[in-house]
Amino acid sequence: MIRLEGVSKAFDRPVLAEVDLSVPERCLFGLIGPGASGKSLLLRMITGLMRPDRGKVTVGGQDVLAMGDMQVHEFRKGIGMLFQNNALFDFMTVAENIAFPLRRLFDLPELEIAERVAERLARVDLPGFEARLPGGLSGGQKKRVGVARATVTRAPIILYDEPAAGLDPVTSQKIFDLLRAEQRAANATVIMVSSDLDRLLTVTDRVGMMLGGRLIFEGTTGEAQNSSDPRVHQFVHGTVDGPL
Amino acid sequence: MRSVDSGSMSADTSAEAAPPLAALSHWAGESVSLLGSLAVLLAAIVRRTLRRDFDRSELLRNLYRMGIKSVPIVTVTALFTGGIMVIQAAPIVQRYGAYGLLGWGAGFGTLREIAPLLTALMINGRVGANNTAELGTMAVTEQIDALRALAINPVGFLVAPRFLSIVITLFLSTIFSDALALFGAAYAGWGFLGVEPGVFYRGLTTGLLGFGDVAHGLAKSIVFGVVIGLSSCHFGLSTRGGAPGVGRSVNSTVVVSAAGIFVLDYLLSFALT
Repeated sequence: MIRLEGVSKAFDRPVLAEVDLSVPERCLFGLIGPGASGKSLLLRMITGLMRPDRGKVTVGGQDVLAMGDMQVHEFRKGIGMLFQNNALFDFMTVAENIAFPLRRLFDLPELEIAERVAERLARVDLPGFEARLPGGLSGGQKKRVGVARATVTRAPIILYDEPAAGLDPVTSQKIFDLLRAEQRAANATVIMVSSDLDRLLTVTDRVGMMLGGRLIFEGTTGEAQNSSDPRVHQFVHGTVDGPL
Repeated sequence: MRSVDSGSMSADTSAEAAPPLAALSHWAGESVSLLGSLAVLLAAIVRRTLRRDFDRSELLRNLYRMGIKSVPIVTVTALFTGGIMVIQAAPIVQRYGAYGLLGWGAGFGTLREIAPLLTALMINGRVGANNTAELGTMAVTEQIDALRALAINPVGFLVAPRFLSIVITLFLSTIFSDALALFGAAYAGWGFLGVEPGVFYRGLTTGLLGFGDVAHGLAKSIVFGVVIGLSSCHFGLSTRGGAPGVGRSVNSTVVVSAAGIFVLDYLLSFALT
């Protein structure tokens, strides 16, 4: 269970205000909302990359904000993350990128690491790409390598920040289908931030909507699609007329 | 009337004076803040280095990229620097017939000042700027955050190895540069002034120059390396704002490092004499 209670954050202006959110275990949770509404910031707070000014963040019963260095190290072993810009290390090959969390966080023999990397590359439909550098990959290929790296440790919690940003519709749908299949195979708890609602809502179990730093809706995907809140209705259905 | 004029003059003057004062105050504040950030980063690097808690494979990779790949530019700079020293000294040497002092004259300036300084400026342009661009690109493309998300401290994995590589590279490059500059000077002296390399060599080794002169330049090279390593890592890590931000960071690194090198060179020249 991922739980945020009264989480607030301000830089030169408030960016998160009293956010309460609960994501059940083994749920694929979609976080939606207009740009700059605080979605990516919430993901960073869950991983402990950013601390809120107020509030509490607990993951699996552990208080993320109260962890020491050693606890953070162990805690982050259990989280996979795909960043909006993929964040692949430019100076490493595809195989080195995917193997990186295994080499750094786990004491595994090189043979097993190589097998896990090959299995992940096959899973994301990029076999034979081991020796390529990220600079030579297309946007969709980079995204798939990012997914392979985020899932290679078989972490029970995976966070995806805009997994289909900048991709064509067909590639986007393939990525979402892949992420859904990965989540089911690993029984992982997944939070996915995406602006591609048409595809995101085909794979999510539950949805939360952020607006102006507040969580204004949280419910099942069906409830989001049939919401009577005009803001949620307008955003989910992409209509021009409305309060947004 | 006079008092009104005088009053308005006074008001105008203070209105004109306020912006420069504010700018000076802002600049002073920024400088103190920068020095504080550099000190914090240096402390983190020193702590990791003393605990040997840094990535050795990154250190080796960076030593190759920064050190070995800088050899051509250091070679060209050093050889021509030695030649320039002789060309500048030539009129005086010829006027007084002091051919035997050519080695001492060229060696004194080269070992204590010119070789460490010019090598540092070349390494600043090639390695420091490149280091900032790499770290800056990693910062704006979330690669630094990705490291943190994997519970990997960027100082141990990225910063300490690069900082150490720059300091080691500049130290070794300065030794290399000293030797090559003297070689260049010796053969420039032979070509322009007809001074045999043997005479030049005796000018270097008859006691007017000592190990202290070499150590003086090498001590400077370590300090210059610390300046380049610190500022290039700091500006790289603090990059914000996409590609233009990377450009601004690279610019800041080159300017701040060069200014720091000159200021510290001046202070060290007093302190080490």
